[in-house]
Amino acid sequence: MQRGQEHHADDHWDAGEMGCGELVIELRTRLRALAPRQVLRLVALDPGAREDIPAWCGMTGHALVHAAHPVYHIRRKEN
Amino acid sequence: MGRFCVSLTSAKDNRDKATVAFVVANAAAGSEQETMVFLSTEAVRLAVPGYADDIREDGFAPLAELMAKFAAAGGKIYVCSPCFKKRGLDETKLIAGATIVGGAKLVEFLAGGSPCVSY
Repeated sequence: MQRGQEHHADDHWDAGEMGCGELVIELRTRLRALAPRQVLRLVALDPGAREDIPAWCGMTGHALVHAAHPVYHIRRKEN
Repeated sequence: MGRFCVSLTSAKDNRDKATVAFVVANAAAGSEQETMVFLSTEAVRLAVPGYADDIREDGFAPLAELMAKFAAAGGKIYVCSPCFKKRGLDETKLIAGATIVGGAKLVEFLAGGSPCVSY
């Protein structure tokens, strides 16, 4: 995980205040829509996102390449 | 893929619980877990099309929307058969993702190795 620099993104989603299950089920759909290794820039204002996004990436296999709440860069896994 | 069960016993008698149960179910389904919501006792009413349409808790998406997203993500909804029959509901009319089951189907899912959170 890296901080303090600009990161490339292929798509962007501002999730606003959305959190918990509502956030991750939509996040799943958005990652699936990307090609393998493409990066989504996510803005998630919900305070639970700090813990949830790294946990979600760990479970699903997508890579969290940058996290500076509320901004997260997630690289889609290969399949 | 791991498994995850959410057991729910409330519908309009506790809209808060019914809503949060499906938020958590969506967290599990969204995290690529094979997820099943078990509806029993009063919660079986949620399997009737249209029933959940007016359940909207502050701070959450409408319940019908949460349930539709859950089903679209491949989530399963098991509906307790005797609970459904007891209430005189029509088993030929169910929401997307719902299946009427007996206890053996629940036991099969859990005995295969699944955590379960109850509401």
